[in-house]
Amino acid sequence: MDFLEPENWMKIREQAQAFVAEHVTEEMIVEELRSGDGVSRPLIQALGDRGWVAATWPIEEGGAGLDGFEASIIASTIRVAGGPTIGQGTTMLPANAIRATGSEALRQTILPGVAAGHTLICLGYTEPEGGSDVFACKTKAVAEGDEWVINGQKMFTTFAHEADYCFLLTRTDPQSRGTRGLTMFLVPLDSPGIERQAVRTMGYERTNIVFYNDVRVSDFYRVGEVDYGLHVMRAALEAEQNIAPASKTTALYDTAVAWANETPDEAGGRMIDHPHVREQLARFAIDTEVAELLGHRVAFIEQIGGKPGPHTALFGPESYVAWSSRMLDMVGTSAMVQWSDPEAVAGGSFEYHFRSAVASTIYGGSSEVLRSLIAEQRLGLPRSRPKL
Amino acid sequence: VNLDLTDEQQAVRELFSDLFVKEATPARIRAAEPVGHDSALWAHMIETGLLGIGVPEADGGAGAGLLELTLVAEEAGRRLAPIPLAEPAAAARLLARCGASSLLDEVLEGSTLLSLATRDRPVGDQLLTDGAIADAVLAVEDDHLIVAWRPEEVRHIPNAGSLPLARWSDPHTTSLASGEQARSAFDTALDEARVLRAAMLTGLAFEAIEIGAGYARERRAFGIPIGTYQAVAHPLADAIVAADGAQLLHWKACWALDENQPSGPSLASMALIFAGQTAYFAAQQSLHVHGGYGFMEEYDIQLYFRRAKAWHGVFNEQQREIAGLADRRFGVARVPHLQTAAVD
Repeated sequence: MDFLEPENWMKIREQAQAFVAEHVTEEMIVEELRSGDGVSRPLIQALGDRGWVAATWPIEEGGAGLDGFEASIIASTIRVAGGPTIGQGTTMLPANAIRATGSEALRQTILPGVAAGHTLICLGYTEPEGGSDVFACKTKAVAEGDEWVINGQKMFTTFAHEADYCFLLTRTDPQSRGTRGLTMFLVPLDSPGIERQAVRTMGYERTNIVFYNDVRVSDFYRVGEVDYGLHVMRAALEAEQNIAPASKTTALYDTAVAWANETPDEAGGRMIDHPHVREQLARFAIDTEVAELLGHRVAFIEQIGGKPGPHTALFGPESYVAWSSRMLDMVGTSAMVQWSDPEAVAGGSFEYHFRSAVASTIYGGSSEVLRSLIAEQRLGLPRSRPKL
Repeated sequence: VNLDLTDEQQAVRELFSDLFVKEATPARIRAAEPVGHDSALWAHMIETGLLGIGVPEADGGAGAGLLELTLVAEEAGRRLAPIPLAEPAAAARLLARCGASSLLDEVLEGSTLLSLATRDRPVGDQLLTDGAIADAVLAVEDDHLIVAWRPEEVRHIPNAGSLPLARWSDPHTTSLASGEQARSAFDTALDEARVLRAAMLTGLAFEAIEIGAGYARERRAFGIPIGTYQAVAHPLADAIVAADGAQLLHWKACWALDENQPSGPSLASMALIFAGQTAYFAAQQSLHVHGGYGFMEEYDIQLYFRRAKAWHGVFNEQQREIAGLADRRFGVARVPHLQTAAVD
């Protein structure tokens, strides 16, 4: 048992901080708050130049040969500094799935560009009527010669307006239901028949509705076997459940402690001297530590080749949501002021976290889905969803 | 970072797990109530060397660390073993640190049951966690590390957790050491007791969840097992995630104390608070899953429910623990009148 941060973590954190100082500019942070794009092309290029987009891949494949811990330190350092990371993090989910299950030719075509920071891939799973039930997929792909014709609509395709490809879940067997008869494609987003519609969110994030009308895609872009897309997608979904924004909880905690230390109170002390503030922050410190530890456990289990399961994805976001609200209560009215106003407290962080946290218990698989998986896998309780 | 137990640590865990399953049966737990002490089980544990696990070999122990003790404490927690554990194990390590070898010999052979006075008050002014069964307790008074000896008349105080609580009026005391070092050695012992209590509470939480899940798998309502209903299943899922977190947290606290990391004391505080919160949540959800049956004395879950609260509360008032954590994490409040009022 050893909880010591190994030296290489410190080293990679310093490198990531130096990278942030050089590449994450004030304009980039403000632009991200304004646009909610989730990605900055110059930033991801710079990451690619260092092999940090696909940081865990070997150097020969354009990565940096880092382990999972080191890669997550880079991502969280950029995220905490306010740089956009959604594009890079999202791209790697299908990129890893393609690397594991894609054809040799597809891997050769796509993956070097991903690692270099030139190629961005968004996720096309969710549909208007599907939500967390991704296997309710209705988007159709029909074979015509060595092409496929795709028709359908996807919801919440974050950064589709910036990406080059969409990792698209389609139904290829019209008679099938549920998890069978599905096929995955990597659809070039400049194909005719694709229409992207912006969706603004309350959390400074832009997402999209994407319509696919008779979009023709070469069979070259199919990922995995026809009708067996489930196998391809399962790996990517599980990887997504393991992404927990513990670093956001930690960032909010650090902001709150700094605020309490620096802000005078009416009695001539500082806010940190106030019993209510002390109690809240002490309790927050505990949840932050637990979220971080559960995150470390995921990285540790992955490192030794195990499957960590959906635990972390439940605790981290749930506590993030709870504390994003409690911090508004604790700090008071001034915490509600937006980043764009000179009166904003802590750069508007409290308002920002309050707006954006609530989505975190939804987008990696809603908490309810995760709880059902934990109840079944860990506690041996009966399956609650109908089996199709 | 390495979260694996060594083979030896795994072996210690299994040895005590088997032992508690065999000996700390629900019937024995009930028989030991209301005082909450099974002297035959305690004698067996002394013989097995439980208190010596964390004591150096040169002092007559097994030379393992706090982590090995927490593995035992977690197993004891799972079975609600009716023996004192956290404070006596921490007290034995404290004696070794102070070189009090003759008293340590008595403790390890079982002729003196030694515990800790856990509150920052004179021994005569506090509820003692093991007061009804201990022969002596260690405390700090007036800059001295003292042994307070059990007075002749001790009345057990009945309580929510069926624990051996008692007050000692005007106990006879002897001094073991004095000065800043004695104070800090005693504080370390209290932190070790916090971590051991956190481990017991974590074990309690795991087993409470298993009892609830087991019941939800079998019990049927409206034609199907009640565990099929998400309103029943989901709180148990939240509880098991929290219990995993509680385990990681007390392991980290253990590691930090063993390695003299500056974060050790605040992690110990965190571990106890979080494990207490988690154990109560787990036991309460699990009891609720049982419906009215959970409320019956005959069902084991009520044994878990009561101890989930009491094992934390008996150590110290929760409000003080949280205030203590804040002091450790943020420094003492600068404006005296804003400090948390004493809660007695």
